[in-house]
Amino acid sequence: MTERANIKSSLSSSINKRADELERIARDILEHPESGYREARTSKLVADWFRSNGMAVQSGIARTGVIGTFDTGRAGPHVAVMGELDSLIVPGHVHSDSETGAAHACGHHAQIGSMLTVAAGMAESSVLNELSGKISFMATPAEEYIELEYRESLRESGEIEFFGGKQEFIKQGFLNDVDMAMLTHTGAETPGTFGVGGSNNGMIGKTIEYIGKAAHAGGSPHLGINALNAAHIGLAAIHAQRDTFRDADTVRVHPIITKGGAAVNSVPSDVRIETYVRASNVPAILNTSEKIDRAFRAGALATGASVKIITNPGYLPAKYDDRLTEIYRHNAGSLVGGDNVIDLNHSTGCTDMGDVSQLIPTIQPTANATTGNGHGVDYLVENYDLAVIKAGKAMGMTIVDLLAGDGSKGRKIAGTFKAPMTIREYLNRMRSFRSEATYTE
Amino acid sequence: MKSSDTSQTRAVALRAIDSATRDLITDAKTVYSIPELGFNERKTAAYVQQRLQSLGFVVETGIAITGMKAVLQGAKPGPTIAVIAELDGLMVPTHPGADTETGAAHACGHHAQIGSMLGVATALSAPELRNALAGNVVFILTPAEEFIDIQNRLALKASGDLEFLSGKQEMIRLGTFDDVDMAMMVHTSAGNGSVLLSVGGTSNAHVSHQVKYIGRSAHAAATNYGINALQASMLANTAINTQRETFKESDVVRVHGIISNGGASVNAVPAEVIYEGRVRAKSLEALEPIAEKIIRCYRAGALAMGASVEIQSIAGYHGLIQDPTMQKLFIENAELILGRDSISVVGSTQTHGGSTDMGDLSTIMPVIHPYANSASGVGHGHDYLIDDYDRAVVAPAKVMAATVLDLLANDAQGAREALAKSRPIMTAEQYVSVQRGRFKTDLFEPS
Repeated sequence: MTERANIKSSLSSSINKRADELERIARDILEHPESGYREARTSKLVADWFRSNGMAVQSGIARTGVIGTFDTGRAGPHVAVMGELDSLIVPGHVHSDSETGAAHACGHHAQIGSMLTVAAGMAESSVLNELSGKISFMATPAEEYIELEYRESLRESGEIEFFGGKQEFIKQGFLNDVDMAMLTHTGAETPGTFGVGGSNNGMIGKTIEYIGKAAHAGGSPHLGINALNAAHIGLAAIHAQRDTFRDADTVRVHPIITKGGAAVNSVPSDVRIETYVRASNVPAILNTSEKIDRAFRAGALATGASVKIITNPGYLPAKYDDRLTEIYRHNAGSLVGGDNVIDLNHSTGCTDMGDVSQLIPTIQPTANATTGNGHGVDYLVENYDLAVIKAGKAMGMTIVDLLAGDGSKGRKIAGTFKAPMTIREYLNRMRSFRSEATYTE
Repeated sequence: MKSSDTSQTRAVALRAIDSATRDLITDAKTVYSIPELGFNERKTAAYVQQRLQSLGFVVETGIAITGMKAVLQGAKPGPTIAVIAELDGLMVPTHPGADTETGAAHACGHHAQIGSMLGVATALSAPELRNALAGNVVFILTPAEEFIDIQNRLALKASGDLEFLSGKQEMIRLGTFDDVDMAMMVHTSAGNGSVLLSVGGTSNAHVSHQVKYIGRSAHAAATNYGINALQASMLANTAINTQRETFKESDVVRVHGIISNGGASVNAVPAEVIYEGRVRAKSLEALEPIAEKIIRCYRAGALAMGASVEIQSIAGYHGLIQDPTMQKLFIENAELILGRDSISVVGSTQTHGGSTDMGDLSTIMPVIHPYANSASGVGHGHDYLIDDYDRAVVAPAKVMAATVLDLLANDAQGAREALAKSRPIMTAEQYVSVQRGRFKTDLFEPS
């Protein structure tokens, strides 16, 4: 134990020396937000940093993903530390890109910061030489499941198959030899605390296309078929389903209209909707998905329009590993005090860390360092020391516990983990979620 | 032929009606006091039967359950003209004249029709007038003009007591009008201004929908096990409302309905909901595509919720076509008897959106259906009251009696002229076949 304490102490002091640089990188990414699969600048920044810190680097994974690896040269578990490259699109956010509306309203820039912080600590030979196994730093694209039409176009051109970056990493085999994974997300719970445990909803994504018939909206509405009215009925029908959602399933269905008609004096003939169907478990997602499809079809039936419904695999529900959580809790407590490590509840948000959690022991603790509403215009990281530096230290110290000596602690967790599914089963399952159908009734 | 040619017989008729005024108004008020729903007008029918018998008529009763017919034979053979009155009340429980048990009320003024018809019967029964007629006048009391109480009428249909759901429809089917060549009646109205009578215009065709949504009941606290039939019905309503922008004003579309069963108890997911819908438009041709849109909406409500829906379409009324020759005679007589400013004429395509089974009769023979502006309040509302029985009963009786004389006196030249010009759009047989074709039941189950 003393030995581990010493390693952790070396880790901390090497991080402390570079704290200014690491926070500056996070703030730089904040000022240059890029949405999923478009994170060219952020990707290059991370790849360059990896190289200049002596890591073996693979880049251009699923367009923008980057992996940097430290290999101790000794056999042992392979731990992945993840950080998400992408921003949201929240025009009006203080740090939004004036052209694209992209904004880091979910704190991913701090994740890159905390991931690099772990790497900065591990780069110190007095740390790495005491560990066994490998540590990979994975900068993953596109965690936010947005811009579905854009991603559908990437899918059609064969650049990606899945809309989430970690899903692409899994598909391309980059998690085949990874034994466990961690990522620190920012959070807005009690300021200054770390949150551990918890779980997340899973989801699927849908794009809906109502095709009606255009006509002069004033002169001859009787000759048209109003696709916006079809959408309106579809949405009303979704709401009528809500009393059938079980509390335990924490269902969320929240559509947006991405195209609502071409011109106000023409009967809308092409209206597009995007929606998620989220729930705490896959059967509830699938059951709700059927109801939602039925509701959208009803809009088309009522108006005589047709509707095309494309369903894409989203993310699987997340279940975080208890034993990893306990190790992390101890380390986080050593940094902020045991009382300031709080247990997270189930979150109705979704993440592609959920997919990872179905395959290998995974944790996604939160650094409660923000103010404002997640995904809102006012979501800001206020406490960079917590979100970047301490978050990095807590993960780094957890890795020290897992990989110190011959990595026996990590081996034990990896060796006894009961994975809900294999990677092959995962891919089959995800592909089974995809459907495309046009209804003219 | 000029109206003045019959000035003598007209004067006799008017005197007869004048001297019967008190009786005729009493008749109307008596019927007002015993309001009954369609096909249940037993007290009303008994009263009118006794009045017709006291005038010397042989009355055929029990036609289409409560309908009646009495024939006045003219001295010479000729065309037959029907003077019609409707027996039924509406269902307006808050009306001051409502039957406290059934809620039936004369909120549409049909009781005044009975008074005016008896006025015509009284006048034309005088031997000197009967002798002037070349042809017959038949007095027909029709049940159930108001197209309501559908569930009960469907039960009568199921038991074989009825096939069609209104009085005139059923009487056409039964052949009651087979010996009739043309028909007239006067309806009350609560029009603006002082003009007493109005003629012309049309009325809407309609179809009735009995829509039964079938879901699955569950405890309303465990709704995930249920399928909510009420949500299905409400979604259909929302969908119907989005169709309104596609209705052309010139089609005079009206779509409205009531939920007659909205769920069994508030703590259970409604498993059966019954919506009674009505779709109206100026003609059957305009109506049919709109009815199809509405049916699509019912299906959509069911589809959205995973419910089933059974849609029963019930043949309603046809648009009213008024005969210009009869109308011209009616106008001339109104001007002669009541003064030049007593009558207004509305265009033949103008409609106020309502419907009447006189429309059905107008598809097979020339008819007129003028209005007597004599009421206040809102038609079918709790405040619809006849203010002036002279205007509601006596004036229409006089103008109808004089118009009948113009049609059948002088060897029925007037009636023959009207019939020669008239081109009914179908025969009674064709009508029955069309109506039968309009009944259909569509069942949609979740796929």
